[in-house]
Amino acid sequence: MTEVSIERLTMDYGVHRAVDGISLRIRNGEFISLLGPSGCGKTTTLKVIAGFEHASSGAIRFDGNDVMQVPAEKRDIGMVFQNYALFPHMTVAGNLAFGLEMRKLPKAEMQSRIAKVLEMVQLSSHADRYPNQLSGGQQQRVALARALVIEPKILLLDEPLANLDAKLREEMRVFIREIQRRVGITTVYVTHDQAEAMTMSDRVVVMFGGKIAQMGTPAEIYDQPASVEVAKFVGQVNLLRMKVEAITGDGGMDVSGPFGVIKVKSIEGAAPGRAVTVAVRPEAIDLVSPSEGQAATIASSYYSGSLMDYRARLADGTLIDVQTFPRQRFADGEAVGLSIPADRWWPLEVTA
Amino acid sequence: MNPLASKKRASLLLIAPAALLIFFFLVLPYLTIVVMSFRVPGDGTPYAPGFTTGNYLHFFSDSFFLQQTFNTLMIGAICTLVCLVLGFPVAWQLARGNSRLRGIAYGIVLSPLLVGIVIRSYGWTIILGNNGMINRTLISMGLVDRPVGLMYNTLGIVIALSHVFLPFMILPVMAAIQGIDPSLESAARSLGASRATIFRRIILPLSMPGIQAGCILTFVLSLSAYVTPALIGGSKVKTMAVTVVDTLVDTFQWPFGSALALMLAVTGAVIVVIFARMTRMKWKAA
Repeated sequence: MTEVSIERLTMDYGVHRAVDGISLRIRNGEFISLLGPSGCGKTTTLKVIAGFEHASSGAIRFDGNDVMQVPAEKRDIGMVFQNYALFPHMTVAGNLAFGLEMRKLPKAEMQSRIAKVLEMVQLSSHADRYPNQLSGGQQQRVALARALVIEPKILLLDEPLANLDAKLREEMRVFIREIQRRVGITTVYVTHDQAEAMTMSDRVVVMFGGKIAQMGTPAEIYDQPASVEVAKFVGQVNLLRMKVEAITGDGGMDVSGPFGVIKVKSIEGAAPGRAVTVAVRPEAIDLVSPSEGQAATIASSYYSGSLMDYRARLADGTLIDVQTFPRQRFADGEAVGLSIPADRWWPLEVTA
Repeated sequence: MNPLASKKRASLLLIAPAALLIFFFLVLPYLTIVVMSFRVPGDGTPYAPGFTTGNYLHFFSDSFFLQQTFNTLMIGAICTLVCLVLGFPVAWQLARGNSRLRGIAYGIVLSPLLVGIVIRSYGWTIILGNNGMINRTLISMGLVDRPVGLMYNTLGIVIALSHVFLPFMILPVMAAIQGIDPSLESAARSLGASRATIFRRIILPLSMPGIQAGCILTFVLSLSAYVTPALIGGSKVKTMAVTVVDTLVDTFQWPFGSALALMLAVTGAVIVVIFARMTRMKWKAA
C-alpha cells in the first residue's frame, strides 16, 4: 500500500519535451488512469515512475520517499506491458517465480504465492504451459499475475488491453478492476481508450502535449470537462457558440443561442456581449414532439443495436448529435423536438 | 488425380533439382568413400581386390591418429569457444545498437568472407610469422628478444580459423538477439533482476537457437578446414583434414585415407549431436 506523489516532473528527449512539469498525487489503493492521445506523455510518465527512464527534473515519491535515484529493479513495482512481455522460455509458473526468485523467497512460500495468484487469475490448471500455448487473454492474465505475485508497492499497466479483441477487452476491464480492488494496490493505468479509463478508474488524468489537461473522477471529466480538447477527447460532444447576455449574481450567466436563452455556470473571462463555447453531450438530449422542445428535423440516423445515433438539424441549420435508446424510432426528415435539461449545458471557454 | 496428390507431386518436383544435386555430389561420393574405406590397400595401385576392416583397426591401434583426431576436435572446440566469446558482444551491438556505424560494423563482420580463403591464410602468415608483423613489433619494442612462436603451432591455427569463421557465429546469434523483445528486459528489471541476471536468465537462453546454430557451423567448419591449417600449421602441426589429404594425395593410400576421413566425420557428427541434445530448447518445441 503506497501513496505516490509526482512533483513538477519534466522529461526531455533532446529538444522534445515529452512531459512538461506535471504534478499528481495518487492515493493509497487508488486506481488512476493516464488518458490521452499517443505522444501526450502518458507512457513516458509511466516509464519514469517505473524507473526505466530518468526524468530531466522533478521528483517522484513513494510514501514520501524520493525514488528518483532508485533503479527500476529496486523500486518494487509490478508492471504489465502492452505486449505482455512474458518470458517465452519459461512456463507460466516459471514466469511467476522469476520475481520471487529475485527476492530469494523460500521455495514453499514461492509455491503457495504462485498458487494463490494463479487461482486469482483463474489459470491454476495452466501453470506448466508455455506462453505460446496460451490465448491472448490468458497471456494477459499471466502478465497481471506475474506483476502481482511479487506483492509490489505499485501496479503499473501500459495499454494492457490494446492487443485484445473488443469483447475480451470489455471482460478484462472488469476483471482487472475487480482484482485491483481485492488486492487494494495503488495502480496507474495508461490508455488512449477513454471508455477503458472511465469504466476502470477512481480518477482519470487527461494529458495533452506533456501536460495535465484535467484530473478528476470519470463523472467530473465527462460532465464537467475543463476544455474543448478534453470534452472532444472524452466521448462525443456538441459544441455550440453562444453569446453572454448577463452575468447573474449566483455564479451563473445567461447565454443565448439556437436554444434561446439558457442559464449556465459562469466561467473565467465571461462578460455580457462575449462569445462562449457551450457543450452538451448527445445522450443528454431527449427527442420529444416538436411542440414540447426545440424544433428540429432528423437529418440522418445510425443504428447500433443498443443505441440510436441521430443527427438533427435546427431551424438555423445547426447540426446537433443526439443519442437515444432505440425504443422509439424516428425517420429521416421527421420533425422532432429537442429537450435538454438545464443542468446538462456546460460552458467551456470564452472565444471572443 | 485428387488435388492432394497433385499438390504432393508439385512439391516433389520443386525439391527434385536440389535432391538430385545432393544425391550425385554428396551422397554418392560419401558412399564411395565408405566403400573405399573397407578396401584392401594395394601395392603400387590405390587399392587391391577384396574387403577388410583393417583400415579401421589401423586407425584405432595407432595412438598417433587417435591423438591427432583428438587435437583436431580440440582445435574445433577452442575456435568455437573463441568465436562465441568474441562474437556475442558484436552480435549484440549489431542487433541492438542504433548507431550510424552499424552498417559499417556489419560490413567489417562480413569482410572475412569477401576475401578468398587462401589469400586470408597467407595474410595471417605475414602477421604471425617469426619475421612477421607481431614479432617484429614486439622485438623492436624490446618486449621480447626472440620471436614468439605464433605459427606452426596450434595457437596460430586457432587464431586464423577463429578469424575466418567469426561471421558464421555472429550472423545467427545476431538474428536470434534481434528476435528477443526488448520489453522482456524491462519486465525482468521491474521484477528485480540485475543486468547480470537478465543476461543469464533471459538474454542467453533466448539467444540459444542462434548460439546453437553458430557453434555447430563454426565447429564443423573448423574440423573440415584444410587451407588455413595447412598454411599456418605447416609440417609441424597437422589437423586431421591435412593428414587425410596427405594420406590420399602424397602417400596414395586411398582406403586408409577414406577411413581417416570417415572417422573425423563420425566423431564430429557425434559431438554435434551431443551438443544439440544438451542445448535442446524445450520451450521451442512447445
